[in-house]
Amino acid sequence: MPASANAPSMPVVQSAIETIVDEAISAAPDCVLRRAILPAINWAEVAPVKVALLISTLADARVTVPRWLAKQLLLAGHALPENLEKTLTSALVALNRVNGPGSSSEKREDIAGMLPALCADDQIEADVAAALVQKFTALGWADEAVRLALAQQLRAPGILKRAGKAVAAYVDSLPTVRVRLIGTSTTQTLADDFKPSFAALGWRADVTQADFGTLLAELMRPPEGADAHVVLLDLDGFAPQDWRRSAADASDLLAERINHLAAALREFTAHSQAPLLINTIPVPAAPAAGFLDRSHASGLRRAVDRINRHILEAAEQSKQIIVVDADQALASLPIRDQSDAKLWYYGRIAYSADAVRLLARAFAEAWSSLKRGPAKVLAVDFDNTLWGGVYGDDGVEALACGDDFPGNAFRALQAECLRLRQQGMLLVALSKNNPDAITAFQTHAGMLLQPDDFAATAINWEPKPDNIRKIAAELNLGLDSFVFLDDSPHEREAMRRLCPEVSVPEMPVDPAERPLWLRRMTRTWPLRLTAEDETRAALYAARRDAENAKASAVNFEDYLKGLEQHLTVAHVSRATLPRVVQMHERTNQFNLTTLRSTEAEISALIESGDRGVAIVGRVRDKFGDHGLVIAATVEINGAEAVIRSLLMSCRVIGREVERAFLGALIEDLKSRGVRRVSGDYIPTRKNAMVKEFYASCGWQSAGADGERTSWTFDVTAMQPPRSQFVALNWEA
Amino acid sequence: MDALAPTALSYPDLVPIFADIFQYAEPLTLETSADDIATWDSLQHIALIRTLEMTYSIRLSMDEMMEIRSVGDIENVLRRHGV
Repeated sequence: MPASANAPSMPVVQSAIETIVDEAISAAPDCVLRRAILPAINWAEVAPVKVALLISTLADARVTVPRWLAKQLLLAGHALPENLEKTLTSALVALNRVNGPGSSSEKREDIAGMLPALCADDQIEADVAAALVQKFTALGWADEAVRLALAQQLRAPGILKRAGKAVAAYVDSLPTVRVRLIGTSTTQTLADDFKPSFAALGWRADVTQADFGTLLAELMRPPEGADAHVVLLDLDGFAPQDWRRSAADASDLLAERINHLAAALREFTAHSQAPLLINTIPVPAAPAAGFLDRSHASGLRRAVDRINRHILEAAEQSKQIIVVDADQALASLPIRDQSDAKLWYYGRIAYSADAVRLLARAFAEAWSSLKRGPAKVLAVDFDNTLWGGVYGDDGVEALACGDDFPGNAFRALQAECLRLRQQGMLLVALSKNNPDAITAFQTHAGMLLQPDDFAATAINWEPKPDNIRKIAAELNLGLDSFVFLDDSPHEREAMRRLCPEVSVPEMPVDPAERPLWLRRMTRTWPLRLTAEDETRAALYAARRDAENAKASAVNFEDYLKGLEQHLTVAHVSRATLPRVVQMHERTNQFNLTTLRSTEAEISALIESGDRGVAIVGRVRDKFGDHGLVIAATVEINGAEAVIRSLLMSCRVIGREVERAFLGALIEDLKSRGVRRVSGDYIPTRKNAMVKEFYASCGWQSAGADGERTSWTFDVTAMQPPRSQFVALNWEA
Repeated sequence: MDALAPTALSYPDLVPIFADIFQYAEPLTLETSADDIATWDSLQHIALIRTLEMTYSIRLSMDEMMEIRSVGDIENVLRRHGV
């Protein structure tokens, strides 16, 4: 191929540009400060000697080489003096080493030490990563190029191409996983992305695709010979909308589709032993029912929620089915970028190129986790990892860990360690300290972790790789099931070199970022929480059957029973009076008379001896204390009592607290010799909800005056209302 | 213009793109079209569109997706996007 035919013609104004570049270099300090001209220069065309002049001009003027300029120079292939490296990211430092002087073998040795951290760097810039891969390839370092390209392909799309043919050769050397791909949309783009995604985790994906539209048929008769089946679901493909149907009809149809899918998944597990990976359907690109999209039957989000719930239920009942949470996998993409409408119309491709890449990685990670098993051991450093500060230097009192900033960030990381422990991981302490450092967990009040939480400890001055090997032998676990957390880059590098099987993630420098970073670490994600594993499916089935059998009212009773409500009633005192007055001022809905009694009025009632009574109730349930939420004031005249006010806070409406309270009130009045209680309902714009309250408590109607109704209760002949869901007691 | 030389491309990046997507090793001209390239089928067309969008940081429309049938078409589209 004649290369000249496609080469860009040389610009004729080259010499003018050179003049401008020379001028810009001589004015470099000013150019840097004003960010002028220098950013527009194509540094690849500038001779190294001129770049050296630029650097020295800036140094003479005591102007630091800014990161943006350093990056431009490095991307263009120039090398910077070593003293400038301290302001650079680790990826730029690597690029500087590659661009710099020295033999290829010396540089390669240098890069070998940096490569694992570069591969694990989740902050790497796409163009820098791509430039590194291109350099490695040009230098003939195929292995390094492939490793970095595979590790960073999600952050730097297109990076694989820069590693050239070496990728294919490397992938061919990996163990093969035969993947069978089925979908409700075109699966080709996912099949393409499976190759690099699986390769990044150490597998050669050999992908075959089912024919379009055969999802259910294939699940019911799964083909032999696949190591993993992958189902790619999408909303439009699985449940196309038909707006001729009523919402109710469409809802029934969706239920039917879901049933078919659930049945097909059951059939699959009956016919195949292979794992099946299936995604949840992500949040729809746009709602169909606007504000109501998640609540109304015609809402797409609601449809998605329904479908996903059933997929998750199916997975609960089979160890073979692994669900990939698409919302989590796609979280780094705005919803509008998760699909590309023209691809859907062109070829029924449901997800955008970016989304497919993320889904491919999520499926590959699920497979990898299934095959290798999640990590079993979390080996953690102490100083500046589990607490801020250095135990040996600062002393235990000075360590940062507790409720206050910045110790709360370290405490939060300890909480994440406890979470992982609860989920079945073993914690191992790996600290360069005197052995007494373990006592810090007991002597420092802010620590969450306790010495007993560690399954093994190595707190000494031996190299950590030696310690971790001893502990692995002691626990009888392979090093490949260990994850190592340490804030020191040197310790991480040593661990990677000497124990390459151990997972050594790049922990964020900022302690504030570490707790969520640890949660996002897929290596620690359990596939299933095994303690409940055996019983969960059975329990789940029983609960669902029970729910199906009972009417919803019965379910509501279960809910009320489960609340474990306690109502404590007391006569209004000086201490509770302000709150009772406030309730009279504010309560609108559950308020029989909406009488806005003042403090003086209620106070007078309390002090009237046997002429009146005011009581108030406090509600507690299993979720906490709701405080004083219900009150009543009553005037007593011998054997007759009249309820002047009865009101309750919205917080506890609908839980029968009011019945129990009214019952308590009547018992109290009875003990004072009252034989008949009466009360009115006075309607307002807001209190319609209590219109039938007295009737519902068994009171008798005593006439009406327009909307206003009167009620009476015969204390001698009738049972006061009570509630089986509210435990009642009187405060002494 | 030299009558014997192939029409020069304004976007030489298209050469490696075509080599990569279509395994097309012949010299590219503005006239090179889907008719000349056996592997330029509807699936590879999607790969081409994805690659163009990614390489040039642009977003192509449905019309442009249909419009692109040759190297010259691609150049027209890129020019319109100010690439």
